[in-house]
Amino acid sequence: MAVGEEKAKNRRGIRAWLSPYHYNAERWAYFFQRVTGVAILLYVLGHLGDTSFFVGGPTGTGPSPSAWAFIGSIFENSFGHLILILVVLVLFFHGVNGVRLILAELGVILRKPSAIEYPYKPKGLGFGQKVLIYAAVAIAVAAAVWAFLVLFEGMG
Amino acid sequence: MKESRLMLVQYATAVAAVALVSIHLVMQGVIYPYATAISYNNILSIYKNGFYAIFLEALLVVVLVHGFNGVRIILNEFRQTKPWAIWVDAGTVLAIIVTVAYGTRTVILAVFGGAPA
Repeated sequence: MAVGEEKAKNRRGIRAWLSPYHYNAERWAYFFQRVTGVAILLYVLGHLGDTSFFVGGPTGTGPSPSAWAFIGSIFENSFGHLILILVVLVLFFHGVNGVRLILAELGVILRKPSAIEYPYKPKGLGFGQKVLIYAAVAIAVAAAVWAFLVLFEGMG
Repeated sequence: MKESRLMLVQYATAVAAVALVSIHLVMQGVIYPYATAISYNNILSIYKNGFYAIFLEALLVVVLVHGFNGVRIILNEFRQTKPWAIWVDAGTVLAIIVTVAYGTRTVILAVFGGAPA
């Protein structure tokens, strides 16, 4: 097989992300870190747009209570609050899992690599990796519950 | 900039974002009830406080640099050709400049803008 064909065969692009075949917890964490990252960036761009209405929107010249009330009338409802809860969920997962990635980059939660033996589990991944992945999920869910209470129950 | 430096930027902005976003969230739902936090008068007082205005500007820059650099990393994972990397890097820089400029405009107008319209 020519080198070009070999490269084309092995280049799966986004399909490689979306195929859960033989995924372990670390691979799922990799997948969700990227998906949540893109989702958060899209939210931030929307948030840049909506907060600009505090000064009258793209053509505004200064603080504008009427433009702020207008944008609030669009987003401050149950649907908007559900979106915010989802944002909090993915934000906390991304943040805690991101801390795990930095710790792994620094070698803090990695074991010494060793020869691969049956049943071929990656030995370099320490116990801390899995704990932090599950902690990321648990903290994200807890934060989403907190956001629900703040937005729908008036806590805070 | 070398890829290793850009990854360091990614980690440094990640750590900064965790701290700044945490403070931002605490201000939205812990220090004040949410309805008060997003009220016009409360936001105006936050912007008029120089410390918080600088805080919001720092949050803006850190989050956008981290976000767009993250997208750059993802796009460079998909394809590893020189022209692709050049276009992706240029697009990343442009996106950061445009979005930071738009967000900074909001902060500046909120702090120094004219009387409420």
